[in-house]
Amino acid sequence: MSEHTATLDGEKPPITDTSHHTTPTNRRRHTLFAAANRIKPGMLSHWYAIPAIIVGLLFTLGPICVIVAFSFMSQPEVGGGVVYKFSTNAYKKLLFTTDFLGRTSFDPRYLKVFGTSLWQALITTFVCIVLSFFIALWMSLRKPSTQRLLVLLINIPFWTNLIVRTYAWMLILNENGPINGFLKFIGVGSKQLLYTSGASLIGLIFTFLPFAIMPMYSALSGFDFRLVEAAYDLGARKLTVMRRIILRAAKPGVTSAIALCFIPAFGSYVQPVLLGGGRVLMVGNLIASQFSDARNWPFGAALSTVILLVTLLCGVAASIGGGKAARDAGMAV
Amino acid sequence: MSDKQDNVTSSSEASEPQIIHMDYGTATEFGAIVERTIDERGGNAAVQMPQWLEDKQPDRALSTRRSGRNRLKTFPGVAFISVLVILFLYLPMLMVVGFSFNGGRQALLWKGFSFSWYGKVFHDPAIISATLTSLEIAVIAMVLSTVIGVMFVLAADQMSHAGSAVASWLINASLIIPEVVLGVATMGFIRMIGLKPGMLPLILAHTTFCVPFVVMPLRARLQTIDTSCFEAAVDLGASPLVTVRRVTLPLLTPAIVSGALMAFVISMDDFMISNFLTSAGTTTLPIYIFSLIRKGVNPSINVVATLLLLLAVIVTVVSSVLTNRKDD
Repeated sequence: MSEHTATLDGEKPPITDTSHHTTPTNRRRHTLFAAANRIKPGMLSHWYAIPAIIVGLLFTLGPICVIVAFSFMSQPEVGGGVVYKFSTNAYKKLLFTTDFLGRTSFDPRYLKVFGTSLWQALITTFVCIVLSFFIALWMSLRKPSTQRLLVLLINIPFWTNLIVRTYAWMLILNENGPINGFLKFIGVGSKQLLYTSGASLIGLIFTFLPFAIMPMYSALSGFDFRLVEAAYDLGARKLTVMRRIILRAAKPGVTSAIALCFIPAFGSYVQPVLLGGGRVLMVGNLIASQFSDARNWPFGAALSTVILLVTLLCGVAASIGGGKAARDAGMAV
Repeated sequence: MSDKQDNVTSSSEASEPQIIHMDYGTATEFGAIVERTIDERGGNAAVQMPQWLEDKQPDRALSTRRSGRNRLKTFPGVAFISVLVILFLYLPMLMVVGFSFNGGRQALLWKGFSFSWYGKVFHDPAIISATLTSLEIAVIAMVLSTVIGVMFVLAADQMSHAGSAVASWLINASLIIPEVVLGVATMGFIRMIGLKPGMLPLILAHTTFCVPFVVMPLRARLQTIDTSCFEAAVDLGASPLVTVRRVTLPLLTPAIVSGALMAFVISMDDFMISNFLTSAGTTTLPIYIFSLIRKGVNPSINVVATLLLLLAVIVTVVSSVLTNRKDD
């Protein structure tokens, strides 16, 4: 961090310029001589990174700091926004409720919302990882040209509009949709499929499956399948090969898939609203409603801060676990 | 002169252990050479396999019958599950496409093939204006994020290790943070700095979350480029900026185009963050569709959804073709 700020403040002047000025007459030889210190040929000086850093500071770090600050402020008498007065009421509201007489009691309502989010995100992540393992294994055993085509097929849903993908399931699960049509046809009668927590779960799995397949595929596509043959030659059975060779190779993919599925699923908004209807309340919906309808910004900010902490923990866990998994896989290979 | 020539060719692999080329006779001799080399060079030496050994295919006699029967490709259920997964990913979207050609007034009651809803959508002023707003934001965000991303990738090499890591973290953070949180946080932030919701915050926020999508393919491409091209350009007297313009950028073009396309799609698709930054006059297409869906299923949603799906297909295919090109 300190070196990074030094770059920004200009305390560390670019060595390029000084080296350039010392021997202006013989630049070509000098280029080779100072190759390690001067700007590598074909690259730009580090000053060109500044716009990206400014954008990141302003619109990623800045908002995060603001939201954390908001969570410690007070709610105005009327309307949204915050009053610049320190208060931890927002965090108290997460766990406790105060009635009209000023008595404080434990309130599990918001914990339940976190529980729903956690539950939906965990199931989504688990199903996505299991399915992605099978398809990634299958993909990585195809011919290279088929593999490219399959990667393309997996990429298309990834780049399709989230709302379009969620809407597609609204069509399917609708009471006049094909599934209910089939149920009526075989005489079971129509069932309420849309606006259930199951529908929201299907939407989440559908959305995050490509997120899991891609890291899983990149872990398995680099795997040397001759090791599997070697394992068979050494007398291993199918299950042993799966468990001790292939699953090990897939481990880095599993950790990235957890990070890529769990965190966004935990904070999801669109699928619970469109597919879960009013029945599924996840943290994302709670946050959004705090900033629009109920208008308790500090409380919404406190919820966001909790999500950010969960994200940070997951990120740290994934990078530690990812490093370990990569090492394990390296040992296996 | 010859010394300099040598420098140019070997500079990229200077840090790698020295490679010894020799002809080996029998396996025993080969093993002896390996052992001796490791002894002499303190374990820091690498011995290159002779070509015939690299190319050698396993003898038929070596593979047992058991391994032949236990072919990995016959893992039970793997192919079946994979096909189901692909169907699971595609059937819902194919259904949307199918129903976009429905002639009836209801989204789900099939009344025969017709383009009538396409005609209605192309003449719907609300959809057109939302599309234009989205396109405007997406194009500006695409250009800005591509310029910023290219500059960052080319400059990141010159930054200190820690500096580059922190900057990458800062840029990629918007990928990891849940969109809802980033949305409300950005809304709080623009309010704090005194901006009003509308076009400017939308463009700035879109640019920010598009940058990582530009940076990813660029970094991957940069690793595959032979740096001796740049050294050759400098040796021939090109100034650093000319080298960037005439050598680096042309070599990176496929990745730049693919990154820009991704940025365009990501910006076109964003609902969550825009939802918190939009004002009355700047409804983007996803926000408009979302409000339509909440009002009830409507056949024109099928048409817009099909068109957005088409956009995703085009962009994915183009960027896949660009990144898989083998000619350079």
